[in-house]
Amino acid sequence: MKRKNFIQSSIGALTASYLPALPKFSTDEDETLFVSPAFLKTGDIIGITAPAGYITTMEIQSAVQKMESWGYKIKIGDTIDKRDFTFGGTDDERTKDLQQMLDDPRIKAIMCARGGYGAVRIIDKLNWEKFKAKPKWIIGFSDVTVFHSHLNKNFGIASIHSKMCNSFPDDWSLAEPIQIETIDSIQLALSGKKMQYTVVPNLQNKLGVADGVLIGGNLKMLETLAGTKSDINTAGKILFVEDTGEYMYNVDRMFWNLKRTGKLSQLKGLIIGGFKIKVDEDSDDFGRTLQDVVLEKIKAYHYPVCFDFPVGHQKNNYALKCGVKHKLEVKPDSVSLKEI
Amino acid sequence: MIKIPPYLQKGDTIGLVCPAGSMPVERISECIRVLNEDWGFTTKVGTTIGQQYHYFSGTDEERIEDFQHMLDDGNVKAILCARGGYGLSRIIDKIDFTNFKENPKWIIGFSDVTILHSHIYRNYNISTLHAPMANAFNEDGFKNEYVHSLRHALEGKKIKHQCKQHEFNKKGEGIGELVGGNLSLLAHLVGTDSDLKTKGRILFIEDIGEYLYNIDRMMYQLKRSDKLDKLAGLIVGGFTDMKDTESPFGQTVYEIIHDAVAEYDYPVCFDFPVSHGKENYALKIGVGYKLKVGKNKVTLEE
Repeated sequence: MKRKNFIQSSIGALTASYLPALPKFSTDEDETLFVSPAFLKTGDIIGITAPAGYITTMEIQSAVQKMESWGYKIKIGDTIDKRDFTFGGTDDERTKDLQQMLDDPRIKAIMCARGGYGAVRIIDKLNWEKFKAKPKWIIGFSDVTVFHSHLNKNFGIASIHSKMCNSFPDDWSLAEPIQIETIDSIQLALSGKKMQYTVVPNLQNKLGVADGVLIGGNLKMLETLAGTKSDINTAGKILFVEDTGEYMYNVDRMFWNLKRTGKLSQLKGLIIGGFKIKVDEDSDDFGRTLQDVVLEKIKAYHYPVCFDFPVGHQKNNYALKCGVKHKLEVKPDSVSLKEI
Repeated sequence: MIKIPPYLQKGDTIGLVCPAGSMPVERISECIRVLNEDWGFTTKVGTTIGQQYHYFSGTDEERIEDFQHMLDDGNVKAILCARGGYGLSRIIDKIDFTNFKENPKWIIGFSDVTILHSHIYRNYNISTLHAPMANAFNEDGFKNEYVHSLRHALEGKKIKHQCKQHEFNKKGEGIGELVGGNLSLLAHLVGTDSDLKTKGRILFIEDIGEYLYNIDRMMYQLKRSDKLDKLAGLIVGGFTDMKDTESPFGQTVYEIIHDAVAEYDYPVCFDFPVSHGKENYALKIGVGYKLKVGKNKVTLEE
């Protein structure tokens, strides 16, 4: 109730000219409040930070230039160029950098420069009070799933699951159209465009139509958040998952984890993104495809399921708004996901 | 109060099954010989022994059937899982423990078998045996003290293990029921019906072949799911064949674990002989133990 009161009072206090950028809120079936941060306007500032793996200024140049070309200003955080072994600085340095960006009212969105490993080491050290009062977009995927999940579970605040600085090509003339399109989709999401995606139908899709709040991310991260205070509640929602570099047996085990932690039984819909399966010469044939692994877990349920959705550790990785209501339509000859 | 299955008498039957990965008969025959000839038990070889279905020792149905049969057979006094691998996650919810609850028997194994240990302890409060499996008997392994400790445990001898001091050990004494197993599996079970209860207990962990960052992540998961703050003690076993990323993680596996529990006061010991290596003492899950981490030695005593 506190959050709702704040939003209502802040609406009253603001002038009409700011209205398009106001946080909006909607309720889903279980009356949980979902808050969308203000969309970005020309001249707004995006902060870049490294909450997990390390990265250099050089490596984020392409992203900085691109986001500037979208009309935004960029603030480069202290963790860029910092390194503590695999991390973009010590836990304290990474916490401080992200905290500053969460608290700085001029920063309207925070782009995580890259994933790697490290968000879970700092998540409980962050103070979310100012962020909760004035939400802003947090952008990224892979290890950043920790933030998407934590925000959704604890604050109901939307965030953007998308490519990060390390996926922006150095030479745009060599970039494939899909790379440019997926990176441009970040700008569409930030500027408040309703997102819309079409997917090539897979014969093993389960047909149906569903409305629900979209949540998800990296499957391994979701598994390792189970039982913690960042663990997502999936009931009544559309869940998307992706992963990379895992053996099929482990993908199977992770889907059992989703099932056995009750995350598959009350979904509105399930979206399977890219899964790069690790194969060893000496590893035994698992005997099941990804489709088999997924479908056997959800045999008893009747929601729509689509495979091959363009999200994951791959070139076709479009921006998705976590914590925002979408409509998933899985038909024999067409599959679409639309923000509603 | 934990229920202890009856200890084994000479001539009692041990059932052998492969509930997860497959294992050729020739890798199990030495174990069977020792159980029969040296230890004086009788063995009943399950239908999943020596069988293979892709990755597994049989289809899910075949593995369930074999295990279920052993659980329900009144003549079988203990079930030795011949190997781990991967597969118990797939069948654990389909196993019927009704008869087992009434007539508990020892279930033996480690690694993937951690799922059975954790599930049975949480749901039925029955003791199980975290211990060497069939492969440990091979290449004269049956002669070592670790494999012998399985025999002693099955025969009802009180368990007392000792190990050497380690520089990271945190001195102290803790008393509690012993729980634990393979770290990856314990993390995988968090939030499920097989989730481990750790409050007031002595926890032991071991793992093999994991990336250091993943060990760190799993320790954070245990910590963030409140599994580490109220332990009576922590036993860190072997973490063998650890892998690192191209840019090094910067800590050893013991440093990672040491850091994860630095804020707690309970005793912690490192390099305890429970592991995927040869050093793997039999431990009774759920049974009360006293862990003493002293200046010069560590004892774990039933």
